[in-house]
Amino acid sequence: MPIEPCAEAPSVNADERVELFRLVLLQRLFEDRVMALYRQGRVPGSVYTGRGQEAVAAGAGLALCPDDVVAPLNRELACHFARGATTADVFRNFFGKATSPTFGRDGNMHFGAPAQGVFPLVSMLGDLVPLVAGAALAFKRRGERRVAMTFLGEGAFSVGDTHEGLNLAAVWQVPAVFVIQSNRYSYSTPVARQMVNTNIAQRIYGGWSIPAERVDGTDALAVLDTVRAAVERARNGNGPQAVEALSVRMHGHAAHDDARYMPDGMREEFAERFDPVERLAARLALDGFDSHAIQGMRDAALAEVDAGLAEAEQAPAPDPATLENGVYAAPPS
Amino acid sequence: MSAEIGPTGSITYLEAISAALQDAMRDDDRVFLLGEDIGAFGGAFGVTTGLLDEFGEARVMDTPIAEEGFVGAAIGAAWMGERPVVELQFADFITCAFDPIVTVAAKTHWRSGQSIPITIRCPTGGGVRGGPFHSGSPEGWFVGTAGLKIVCPGTVEDAYGLLRAAIDDPDPVLYFEHKRLYRTLRADAPPTGHRTPIGPAAIARAGDDATVVTYGSGVSTALAAAALVDGDVEIVDLRTIWPLDEQTILTSIEKTSRVLVLQEASRSTGAAGVILSLIARRSFEHLDAPPALHAPPDTPVPFAPELEDGYMPSVESTAAALDQLLAY
Ligand SMILES: Cc1ncc(C[n+]2csc(CCOP(=O)(O)OP(=O)(O)O)c2C)c(N)n1
Ligand SMILES: [Mg+2]
Repeated sequence: MPIEPCAEAPSVNADERVELFRLVLLQRLFEDRVMALYRQGRVPGSVYTGRGQEAVAAGAGLALCPDDVVAPLNRELACHFARGATTADVFRNFFGKATSPTFGRDGNMHFGAPAQGVFPLVSMLGDLVPLVAGAALAFKRRGERRVAMTFLGEGAFSVGDTHEGLNLAAVWQVPAVFVIQSNRYSYSTPVARQMVNTNIAQRIYGGWSIPAERVDGTDALAVLDTVRAAVERARNGNGPQAVEALSVRMHGHAAHDDARYMPDGMREEFAERFDPVERLAARLALDGFDSHAIQGMRDAALAEVDAGLAEAEQAPAPDPATLENGVYAAPPS
Repeated sequence: MSAEIGPTGSITYLEAISAALQDAMRDDDRVFLLGEDIGAFGGAFGVTTGLLDEFGEARVMDTPIAEEGFVGAAIGAAWMGERPVVELQFADFITCAFDPIVTVAAKTHWRSGQSIPITIRCPTGGGVRGGPFHSGSPEGWFVGTAGLKIVCPGTVEDAYGLLRAAIDDPDPVLYFEHKRLYRTLRADAPPTGHRTPIGPAAIARAGDDATVVTYGSGVSTALAAAALVDGDVEIVDLRTIWPLDEQTILTSIEKTSRVLVLQEASRSTGAAGVILSLIARRSFEHLDAPPALHAPPDTPVPFAPELEDGYMPSVESTAAALDQLLAY
């Protein structure tokens, strides 16, 4: 099957398409590189990628305005780039450098950027749902036209915090946006063994009365179009909103997982037709970008990854003597 | 309500807490309250009575019954620079909010530099016939958790001053207010705006013969017991139980050479383990007697009066423990 170009979406202008392409490329190329480094034993801990889901991260990230805030998870590297993280920042976090966003105290995708309104990832699934409901509550209290967003996998829909957080957001009618990454699995467990009704958008609307739409999560234009509309509805006082983005996790759960539990050929067949990076490249070709121009964008993204890696490798390791600094914002006297 | 009580009037521990909330809300628009039944109803113990009328629904928010959810939401609001004060209906329900407290609130500053200024009020303790689910002293589960501050006022002045300090503080603070003290402890109202610093312990009573290290409800129990024994007892009121004011404990023991740790939490939880470990490591050379512990047995708090009265450290049982220590 040939690749399916992203569908035409008039709301997404040419500059945004180019920026989306930069973002999905950065995530793809960064993750390919960090996975290779991991296999060489150069990355401590583990590596989580969002291969197959880059369009969701990029589209949702770009749907936010600079004053909005977001709490991404493991699969949303492009969202960090959309918020201004550099490839060097992220490499430093994977390497555990002193100058990483977490000062070497946390690794891989566990980081944020308080100054850019990005909450540092908390592993415990569901924790970020009440958190963004509360951030959105702050905006509502102050009459600020800002939005708080988080991402959730299917796994979070069996966790109690998710119910509590969605319910609070709905009862309070706060400007929170929930983007659901429906990639068919939670680690090794297929979604049908986690819930009876696997239409999460339907559950969100039926259960919590939060408007929820499904979107093709491999089509970056569709994601930006749909999530941006949800963000603007939230911003305009229509309460919390949700978007369920459908895709397939093209890697195992993490670097150590070869995903042999997924049916043979599933990922390959999916990639052939729905690889989100290539779908967007095909769209740009239809838009009139010639192959030379598109290759130039790929080269530029690769150069950004190379430069970030070179920079991060030079960064100093953390000093164990500083470990107890910063436990408190105000250490007790 | 506290507004009607002048600075020199006599107020209860509960009224001191109410006054601290009211004054903090008057001083700072970022302060808002959330919890179950705290609005028109005034909270299970009446601590927030009248606050809805003065500050309105946007600042005194009745929440659904969702401790994990509204503590998580308070953290999110704090992330955005608000100063939320959460009321748990009973400290026992903190189990439901354990995850956002220890996973999110406690670790965030250390790993990102983002401060999380939340205060969580926990009506704690027994002696009120509350049984196993409404009488616990769960502070010990949090002692030792980096990033949290835990305060346990044992006086009217500190009930006010520690709450004001907690609300000012840029870190997450668990504030354990003792239910039995709510209406039994009375003192002159502290001056409006008074702050009890978070961290330093206080010497509630100076003495040379033995040290009692205690907090919360233990302070008034120890003061009454000290009056009964033949010996000059010094009482260290920790006020903040985490992080611990190690120096005040060590200095007192250097002087007295005998120490009793008194707490209402069952003996293997609470703050006692951490305090006794400190004493074993740092006071060994100064001790004339083995460090003593007076605390309830390792069971939940029982309901029947015959059981609960025996379970709780009383003035008499504390005096007996002190007698033993002094006689060693
Ligand atoms: C509460 C909790 N339990 C277990 C884990 C370990 N864990 C991390 S990711 C994951 C699977 C998540 O699946 P899903 O939500 O579908 O997201 P995906 O990995 O597919 O993006 C698990 C079990 C966790 N992070 N949090
Ligand atoms: Mg999944």
